[in-house]
Amino acid sequence: MGLLSWLILLPFLTALAVVCVPARRWMMIRWIALAGTGLHLILTGIATFRFWGLAMPDVASMKTATLMKLYLVEQVPWFQTLGIQYHVGVDGISMAMVILTSIIIFTGVLASWNVKERTKEFFVLLLTLVTGVFGVFLSFDLFLFFMFYEVAVLPMYLLIGIWGTGPKEYAAMKLTLMLLVGSAFILVGILALYHASGLHTFDLTRLAQVSYSTDLQYWVFPMLFVGFGVLGALYPFHTWSPDGHASAPTAVSMLHAGVLMKLGGYGALRIAVYLLPDGAKDWGLFFMALTTINILYGSFGAIVQKDLKYFTAYSSVSHCGFVLFGVAALNLMGVKGAVIQMFSHGIMTGLFFGLIGMVYGRTHTRMINEMGGLAKVMPWLAVCFYVGGLASLGLPGFSGFVAESHVFLGGFFGNPWTNAVAMKTLTVIATLSIVVTAVYVLRGLARVFQGPIENHHFLELTDATLTEKISTGVLVATLAFAGIMPWFLIDLIESSIMPIINRLHATGTMVAFY
Amino acid sequence: MWMLPELIIIGTAFILLFTDLFLTERRRIVLAPLALFGIAAATAVTLYLMPGQGEMLGGRFAVDSVSWWFKLVFLLSGLLTVAISMDLFDSRVAVKDPNIRARGEFYTILLFSLAGAMYLISARDIVTLYVSLELATIPLYILAAWKRDSLSGEAGLKYVILGALSSGLLLYGLGLMYGLTGETHLDMIGRTMTPAPAFWLAAAMITAGVGFKLTIVPFHMWAAEVYQGAPTPVTAYLSVASKAAGLALMFQLFYRAMGQFLDHWSLPIALFAALTMTLGNVVAVTQQNIKRFMAFSAISQAGYLIMGFLGTSSEGVPAMLFYMLVYIVTNLAVFAVIMFYSNQTGREDIKDYRGLARVNPLVALAMMVGLFSLAGIPPLSGFVGKFFLFSVASKAGFHWLVAVAAVNSTISLYYYLRIVRQMYIEPVGAGDQALTVTPALAITITVTSLSTVVMGILPMFYESVHAQTLTWFLPFIK
Repeated sequence: MGLLSWLILLPFLTALAVVCVPARRWMMIRWIALAGTGLHLILTGIATFRFWGLAMPDVASMKTATLMKLYLVEQVPWFQTLGIQYHVGVDGISMAMVILTSIIIFTGVLASWNVKERTKEFFVLLLTLVTGVFGVFLSFDLFLFFMFYEVAVLPMYLLIGIWGTGPKEYAAMKLTLMLLVGSAFILVGILALYHASGLHTFDLTRLAQVSYSTDLQYWVFPMLFVGFGVLGALYPFHTWSPDGHASAPTAVSMLHAGVLMKLGGYGALRIAVYLLPDGAKDWGLFFMALTTINILYGSFGAIVQKDLKYFTAYSSVSHCGFVLFGVAALNLMGVKGAVIQMFSHGIMTGLFFGLIGMVYGRTHTRMINEMGGLAKVMPWLAVCFYVGGLASLGLPGFSGFVAESHVFLGGFFGNPWTNAVAMKTLTVIATLSIVVTAVYVLRGLARVFQGPIENHHFLELTDATLTEKISTGVLVATLAFAGIMPWFLIDLIESSIMPIINRLHATGTMVAFY
Repeated sequence: MWMLPELIIIGTAFILLFTDLFLTERRRIVLAPLALFGIAAATAVTLYLMPGQGEMLGGRFAVDSVSWWFKLVFLLSGLLTVAISMDLFDSRVAVKDPNIRARGEFYTILLFSLAGAMYLISARDIVTLYVSLELATIPLYILAAWKRDSLSGEAGLKYVILGALSSGLLLYGLGLMYGLTGETHLDMIGRTMTPAPAFWLAAAMITAGVGFKLTIVPFHMWAAEVYQGAPTPVTAYLSVASKAAGLALMFQLFYRAMGQFLDHWSLPIALFAALTMTLGNVVAVTQQNIKRFMAFSAISQAGYLIMGFLGTSSEGVPAMLFYMLVYIVTNLAVFAVIMFYSNQTGREDIKDYRGLARVNPLVALAMMVGLFSLAGIPPLSGFVGKFFLFSVASKAGFHWLVAVAAVNSTISLYYYLRIVRQMYIEPVGAGDQALTVTPALAITITVTSLSTVVMGILPMFYESVHAQTLTWFLPFIK
């Protein structure tokens, strides 16, 4: 069994190990979970180095390639009669996503150090969920992909329903059902492609060798894009996201907003745009318009929120809009920005939800106007919050800036198939959100952390514990690293984006439109 | 020789009937193991004879690959039904029901119905077909009324009246077919049939008759009351074996006798499928009683099932057979838990299941696995089975139906999650404590829920169905 299979299987094995521990030994359970995710982080590091060594020699040849190249591939036949395989591999985009997920789940376990109610079930479900996420990012057989996709969504119901707060049953049900309706459309699309290709395979790399009829692309593309878009919080299918994130327990919000929402952007790029270039050209502008609404709606929505979690959830809707906006821009710059934004927003929002959980654990309120002056009693958390906030409004030096500048440049450069004026107008409108973001982030931060402490109980509160410091420290460091030295990330993903862009250009030899 | 499994079942039924006469009430405890042994023996013989081909009685009784798989499905559901009913009938329960008695007759009648279903798929003559259908259904009318209280009596009466109506319609259709072709042999009918106006009338009659057995909307009216009123083991048996018998009947008539018109069926079948799954799912949402709930769940499953008939691709047959296999195992896993719960508490409302995950975590897990498999959640076998059916529909070009079906799966998840919510999220009711799981049910629940997982992950089950039945229907479509 190869390295990538271990990456998928390790969280599941950890979950099995947790199952074997009696429920009352919750100390041991969380240590097992931490050890498993820590080991996963190490394995991810090894995989990254090996990937780097294998992929770097191919960078030049990928400039003109129209087919993606996978590394560390493992292929085992599964349901042979339908051409279903266990096919895992990795390219730059999935490598970046695996690194993100591995960091988030490690810090997420640290952030749930204080879950004392039904600890065992909590970690089992959390680790099962993350198994699904790794599976999605690493599988290149559409059947396998779809299977992991649903495995990644379903444990969320119980995680929110049992350990959540507020209207948790409602939020959990809404989230699960909306996401699964999305996946229903994905299923229709996948099956249509399978039968249309005539290759009798679900292998993504082989399905990409066929060019599908324009009619088929025209109706399958929106199905896939909307199906994935539901998970990527595409307007108007984003409504599960604020409720879901606000009700979920800390680690689940981190994982969901940080990683799961990226599955949407990832699928839209990897499957919808890559397999159906003509459909993408037809629908690009439409989805750019929708995501522009996303970006603005999310940021205006965040301004009026009183609950810190809803506040962050709406800001996530806005930021995930950037991801899909970049994808819909259909050029190298935009798509690159989208992938960087997936990574950057994943870390950022993980940090946010982690911090909110820590603050809530102390103040027992998430209402912004009930707080104030918290920086005096919890300076570590306040500093981390500021870093996250500034990254999210796109301050240079953090990854958010790199991502957003790429996305907007991508939108502004346009592409040969879309009306340039319309695209530029949409981009300018979307850019306005930067101002709105600055308004809500700075106002929110000021109300929570600045000013006098009005509630005297707050004076007795303590700053972050060691586990919390490690958890937030790792995330802040990653944000800064990706912001100051973005070329690592860009090098990692760029050569894997080229085939997607090249496939959009019919001849496949033309260099992408910068 | 090909009839050996059926003969073993009938033999066992008679042995049970006569042993019952000579045993004291206390010793009647041996009856259930005896029935289990008989069915297991028949299953073993079936597995041994598979996939041989042959015919008996001048071609009126024949076996081929598909009929073996159907027999396996029937035997498996009979086996599991006996396994989940033995605790109730042997009074190893916390809440006793005085109306449950006469276990000797119960197992005998159950086995007769089982034999009828097995003859049904091997019959090659419309007379044999009709007689075996009646042998399969008439015992079910008796079983539905077994509890002799007002609900169970109503169930039996409603079932017998509507069942008779549907049998009448079917008989009318078969009669017309005989009149049109002058043949009683199904293969001969298939070969000589021409599309006269009377043929379409016959086809409509047959559709109604088959639709009744398979609970296709709008012929589903009987299901909810019968499922709710019948004793729980009978409900379990009805929901799987009666449905499989309906599918077998549909195979016999739609493929064997009317296979050459298969193209024409696609659109009506797609509409029936869409209607069935949507109505079943939407109505299931509002149900409070778990057996009634399972009735609507079963109706919607029939909607997914008949998607396999769409188009003329050869993958439909293995997909339907595999789904049937998955469905009986999964549905009986759920029914085993329902049985366990009503044995121990006497309650059968959805809200009674609250907090089950705290007091009996493993049973709740098995229930959740079963429900998720019914909803089609990967990597459970229900997902794989549905995926293959959806693939058949997609291949036939019915993309809209795939969309309807996939959205319906989500609706179904909503109501399956209602039970999961009661078990996992709601707090334990005051004074609830761990319930005793009897050995028979413990084994049944374990085996069925494990197979639910395994059949979705290991490909060999589907591969062997596929390998044996892929070319089965080619002679009929010409």
